[in-house]
Amino acid sequence: MSIPKIIRSTYSVCPVCLSRIPAQHVEIGSNVYLQKKCVQHGFFSSVIWRSKTPIGEWIGDTPRIKKNENLNCPKACGICPEHRQGTCCVLLEVTSRCNLRCKYCFADSRNTDDPSLEQVQAWLRQLAVPGKTLVQLSGGEPTVRDDLPEIISSAKEAGCRYVQLNSNGIRLAEDKEFVRKLAEAGLSFVFMQFDGTNDEINRKLRGVDLLALKKQAIENCAAYNIGVTLVPTMVPGVNTDNIGELLRFAIAESPAVRGVHFQPVSYFGRIPERPVDEVRYTLDELIYDIEVQTKGQIKAKNLIPSRCDHPLCGFHGDFVVMPHGIEPLSGKYTSKGDCCGSEPVSADKNRAFVARRWERQVQEQESHSCCSKPDIHDMDYFLKRVKSHGFTITAMAFQDAGNMDLERLRRCSLHVFDNGRFVPFCAYYLTGWDMT
Amino acid sequence: MADNKVIICCKCKKELIPKKVYFKYLGHSFFTDILKCPDCGEVFIPEELVKGRMAEVEMQLEDK
Repeated sequence: MSIPKIIRSTYSVCPVCLSRIPAQHVEIGSNVYLQKKCVQHGFFSSVIWRSKTPIGEWIGDTPRIKKNENLNCPKACGICPEHRQGTCCVLLEVTSRCNLRCKYCFADSRNTDDPSLEQVQAWLRQLAVPGKTLVQLSGGEPTVRDDLPEIISSAKEAGCRYVQLNSNGIRLAEDKEFVRKLAEAGLSFVFMQFDGTNDEINRKLRGVDLLALKKQAIENCAAYNIGVTLVPTMVPGVNTDNIGELLRFAIAESPAVRGVHFQPVSYFGRIPERPVDEVRYTLDELIYDIEVQTKGQIKAKNLIPSRCDHPLCGFHGDFVVMPHGIEPLSGKYTSKGDCCGSEPVSADKNRAFVARRWERQVQEQESHSCCSKPDIHDMDYFLKRVKSHGFTITAMAFQDAGNMDLERLRRCSLHVFDNGRFVPFCAYYLTGWDMT
Repeated sequence: MADNKVIICCKCKKELIPKKVYFKYLGHSFFTDILKCPDCGEVFIPEELVKGRMAEVEMQLEDK
């Protein structure tokens, strides 16, 4: 039996009443747990790390939350002067309707009336910082709105630099003319729910077969030069053994597919039951499984902790897809800072970086001659290839009432726009475990 | 090469000739043709290369 060891102090919320309470990272054996006690509702523990990589090495010298800091977090959330990161991406819900009924859904679609186009346009004018903003149109499922092309062009007119569509891909597959209109309106790229390479996974998570539709959606987006990043929700026992296959599929679909953005399941919104540790999938496990399931083609050392958000919130890997395979560009020792705990990156810089990779810049042409073997070390070839076939492997671990860590929340750069307020994503969708 | 100017090595007084030269940045290496002294190996890196393609390579590689 291992002796529990407190390795970090932070603040969290009671999963039942959502009050702000002290919490600790406690190491027991090879696992690290976020543990906390509410005077009213008792003791709670959630696994947050399984030590495939030492957690201390991953977090580096990230500042800890002090006793007198962020006292109104998360109750009064709407980013305040104490928030430690700017807005990288703004999420705007344009509908609560959806054409799927998933077992897991952070937004828990409710099928209420859509906000009017005029209302959405007013929000876009409010949220846009001309020349900078990356707005994610989300929902519900945004493509259920026939006026989505008008919303996209309004976002561009308001000055949004990038317009991202978060979609399950169904209408993108079934209505190519609609995809054309989205492209013409100025859509920058799509984040498409894509949980795995077989329909058994789709049936378990989404209730229906979707794979053929997803493939068609990728094809339709490619026809209009819209980059697609695949977004799997990772659920232990459902698709965590499909990571290697999924990455091989995505790489084979480059340059139409721009990357894979993994989201370990989190338990807010619509979830089947209160989470136990066995149904949690930690970032370090994901990284380990990526290396093992790709047989070392993608290595853990090339996936580096987020420096825009908190390191425990995600990672990113930057690659270029070559005719013979994938080459890493990012790595622990290619960063200008030290391997971990280097200076946080501004939201502006982060946005510019990710958008550069996710957007298809021009219709790619073969970037090498027919007679010579492409060589990534050739400066001219590299510059062409990285623009056409850049590929990202990223992850974002959303927090729920069980594992909410305010040290992480105060570094959040993904903000939901709600009636003039910018609210960190995990604070916005936070729901208590009584499911009220 | 940007133009056809003849450039002479200040040490060896030999004309620089285009050669494949490797650069290293953040653990990656790249080559391109630039002017190099055939005797001592001194290279001439024109400003447009520094501000153009080399800067672009830096931007593409820099960790976000």
